[in-house]
Amino acid sequence: MNAAGISVWQIGSVAVQVALCVVGAPLLVGLMRTVRCRLEGRVGPPVRQTWRDLRKLLAKQRTQPEQSSFFFAVAPVVLVATTIVVIAFTPMVTTRTALLGGSDLFAIVFLLLLGSVSLALAALDTGTAFGGMGSSRLMAIVALAEPALLVAILALAAPVHSSSLPVIVAGSLHHPMWLATPQRLLAFGAFVIVILAESGRLPVDNPATHLELTMIHEALMLEYSGPDLAFVVLGESLRLTVLLALLSNLFFPWGIATALTGVSFVVAIAVLAAKVALLAVAVAAGEVAVAKLRLFRVPELLAGAFVLSVLAVLSALVIA
Amino acid sequence: MTNHSVAAALLALTSGTVLLCAALALWRRAARGIVSALRVQGYALAATAAVLGVQLHEPLLLVTSGLLVAVKGVAIPMLFGRLVRLDPASSETDPVVNVPASLVAAVVLTLVAFVATRPIVESVRGVPITLVPFGFATVLIGFFVLVARRKAVSQMVGLLLVDNGIGLVALLLTTGVPLLIELGGTLDVLLVVVVLRVLVTRMHAQLGVLDLDSLQELRD
Amino acid sequence: MISILVLALPLCAVLVALGVGWRPWMPWAGVAADAAVVVAGFAVALRDVHHVAPTGAGGELRIDSLSAFMVIVIGVVSMLASWGSVRYLRSEVRSEQCTPRQAVQYAALIQLFVATMVLAVLAANIGILWVAIEATTITTTFLVGHRRNRGALEASWKYIVLCSVGIALAFLGTVLVYLAAVHAGGHSLHALEWTWLSAHAHALNPAVMRLAVGLLVLGYGTKVGLVPMHSWLPDAHSQSPAPVSALMSGVLLSVAFYALLRFKVIAVLCLGESYPRELFVAMALLSLALASLLLLTQRDLKRALAYSSTEHMGLLALGAAAGGPLAITGVLLHILGHGLAKGVLFLSSGEVALADATSDVDAAGGLLERRPALGGAVALGLAALLGFPPFSLFLSELTMMRGEVADHMAWAVGLSLVALAIAFAGLTTLGRRLLFASRPGQATGLHTPLLVMAPLVVGLSLCAAIGVFAWPFDAIVHAAAKLVTS
Repeated sequence: MNAAGISVWQIGSVAVQVALCVVGAPLLVGLMRTVRCRLEGRVGPPVRQTWRDLRKLLAKQRTQPEQSSFFFAVAPVVLVATTIVVIAFTPMVTTRTALLGGSDLFAIVFLLLLGSVSLALAALDTGTAFGGMGSSRLMAIVALAEPALLVAILALAAPVHSSSLPVIVAGSLHHPMWLATPQRLLAFGAFVIVILAESGRLPVDNPATHLELTMIHEALMLEYSGPDLAFVVLGESLRLTVLLALLSNLFFPWGIATALTGVSFVVAIAVLAAKVALLAVAVAAGEVAVAKLRLFRVPELLAGAFVLSVLAVLSALVIA
Repeated sequence: MTNHSVAAALLALTSGTVLLCAALALWRRAARGIVSALRVQGYALAATAAVLGVQLHEPLLLVTSGLLVAVKGVAIPMLFGRLVRLDPASSETDPVVNVPASLVAAVVLTLVAFVATRPIVESVRGVPITLVPFGFATVLIGFFVLVARRKAVSQMVGLLLVDNGIGLVALLLTTGVPLLIELGGTLDVLLVVVVLRVLVTRMHAQLGVLDLDSLQELRD
Repeated sequence: MISILVLALPLCAVLVALGVGWRPWMPWAGVAADAAVVVAGFAVALRDVHHVAPTGAGGELRIDSLSAFMVIVIGVVSMLASWGSVRYLRSEVRSEQCTPRQAVQYAALIQLFVATMVLAVLAANIGILWVAIEATTITTTFLVGHRRNRGALEASWKYIVLCSVGIALAFLGTVLVYLAAVHAGGHSLHALEWTWLSAHAHALNPAVMRLAVGLLVLGYGTKVGLVPMHSWLPDAHSQSPAPVSALMSGVLLSVAFYALLRFKVIAVLCLGESYPRELFVAMALLSLALASLLLLTQRDLKRALAYSSTEHMGLLALGAAAGGPLAITGVLLHILGHGLAKGVLFLSSGEVALADATSDVDAAGGLLERRPALGGAVALGLAALLGFPPFSLFLSELTMMRGEVADHMAWAVGLSLVALAIAFAGLTTLGRRLLFASRPGQATGLHTPLLVMAPLVVGLSLCAAIGVFAWPFDAIVHAAAKLVTS
């Protein structure tokens, strides 16, 4: 990347999308909760409730389990930090992002994985039964979901011969026919399943349960309280937001700014917010309709995602 | 965007659906789900024939397509419907190979199909020919279902997956065998399903289950 | 014209069965129709001995010397089987083992089955051939499951599933042949005709044809009962009614084998001698080895006969692998001799099972003493099957082996002789236990009805007569062999 090519707009776009995500992510989670409540016939908390909870938690005193090491305290920060780096790298507003060199899909997937792993290690670090259980379940899911995601990315990368996100997004903008090819449909299916699994939504994990038989993500954060808990909750919501933003820009790229002008930026931000909100509402509505899978059926679902992504790659090879 | 590339994309879509439905049949446990995967596959096969017919201006292929809709989309799933009602609780509760392993096997079989068809794809070039591996993979997955599933309905579906896969290969390779052969072949398949259905009904009447594990007396 | 007539004869018998319903004389219609098929086959075959000019109807059917020979084989064996069915159906209906409606169904299906086999050998193109062979599976499934007990259910399920899979593979092979033919300038149905394919064999794409031939051999090999896909055969043969087993073992396997013979000629013309030969030899030796070893362990007469069929199909495949004129002559003669001997043996096994309610050889022991006539027929049938002179199997096995040696396959002959020796040991042990091991207190010297003995005597004497006089089959077989010699 030559320095001369970077304009104020590009640096601005990175700052804007980070700020937007940090502010918007808890609201998004609140929105999903509200939608779910409404569909189930309940009133539910207001959308802002997540932010209120976070503010309350941040004001509290830190506590830490006796036997745990420094890692317990570091993990939430690692989670939030890696996710923010991912947000900075992801082309959300414009395809001509300032950090072109870093926005490789593989790098992004591994950064997200780093957050999961640190949280799982921290849960092991507490030495409680729930922590160990949660981290082993999380690793079982991640071990199946990550290969599926990586293979699905290959399918998207094949037509443009590059795993760089802005290139993929720009490519599908130029060739709208690509959006309906089998490899993209199959990869979309795989992405959706993996995103649901990674962000701990139904049918893989129920974010609203503390039932020890089934919980996965809740088991990981059971020992956290106060500001640490706030960071974990923020990190999880950021992760959900960035995954949904990725999904929307990879498969429905319309609206993203290709030119560096003010108007297109404003349009892009508005469209992005709308797309992500729409996806979030769809996920929430879907959660009302499906039941949680039994834990030993989850590998079947993720193996299905793996099959979808392999088929996607093979279709990409055949059609290329 | 030319008509040609639209047709190529549509063909890729329909033949991809055929393969996807084979994987779905392996994924689902309930007999009802497996049969609906088969139904969608029948429609996808018919759509492939229709797209080819329009692209190549071959009215006979449209006839074939209509035949496929009637037999594989409507008649055969209907024949299955009665069987599913015969034993509504029938589902693959304990398959010989568990579901995740079966799905991984399906991936491996698909790769095998791609490697095995290389000589044909390379020696006979052309747009639909490159899609032939989808058909071969469907055939192989059908064989796998026949080996790895012991419910009578699943085995019948396995047989039909093999048949649909071969149908897809035939369509893509030769843009359809002569109509007389197609007619004879489709009729034969329909009759095989009818015969199997009678056998399953007898099985239900005699043994009360639709499980082939209860039929293991004859062996050396 | 004549080909339509041949096809129509068994169909007439079907109509008679469906039209008149159950009458004790009704099964005779089938015997008459099948006898007429034999006569028609002879008429064509003898005419073609002098001037080989195949005749056809509208291009879909075609009758040359090989088809005519196969028509004769189908006719003779199904005549014996229908003859046996007369007695079988009467006793089943009398003992209320089956309802008159089921008896009518059986009589109609068996003639429909004969018609599909005739269609297979008369098909002018490989597409029709495929449809006909698939139709044989459909018509026979209910015949295999005629008894409707658990074993029959299992056997018919295995039969239809495995054979449909095999036939599906053969369809894939047929599609690939069509692909190669279209690229070599063929057009529509015409491109699938035997004559067109052998005339243009060198123009066919070898890469495609390699895969196609492999699939066709595996696919039709399933119906022949060759080894990797043979497991339906012992179950289906042991569970079906005896006349159906006789028909399946005697001709159905050979009809599928006929398809392999024709495809091999095209394969050799297109791909050279070695690839098809390797395929055939591999399947033949595997079948011989497995069938002869399993023969040693059998206690059930019909199951043992079924394995013996696999073994004989292995011998045929070995002869076809050689492919020279002498070997092919032997193969064709063996098809006829095996059909007759197996037909006789299965029919007598049905009679044993009917009288003793079991086909377990130990339970039915001492047959020769108890029922001398029937026991004698079984003994002679076994002798024929084992290749003793004067029966024609002696002549045909010898001819095949001489042909194989002439085609530089002496090593395979050696291996097949080992398998034959093992099978010999298995069948003679079985025969000894069935025929001689009598138990004290059994009734001896029982009379066997003429209706039972007649088809057995006719079959055995035909088999012996062909072995001694060869005429008129020498000329017919030579003319037929010319068509499939590479």
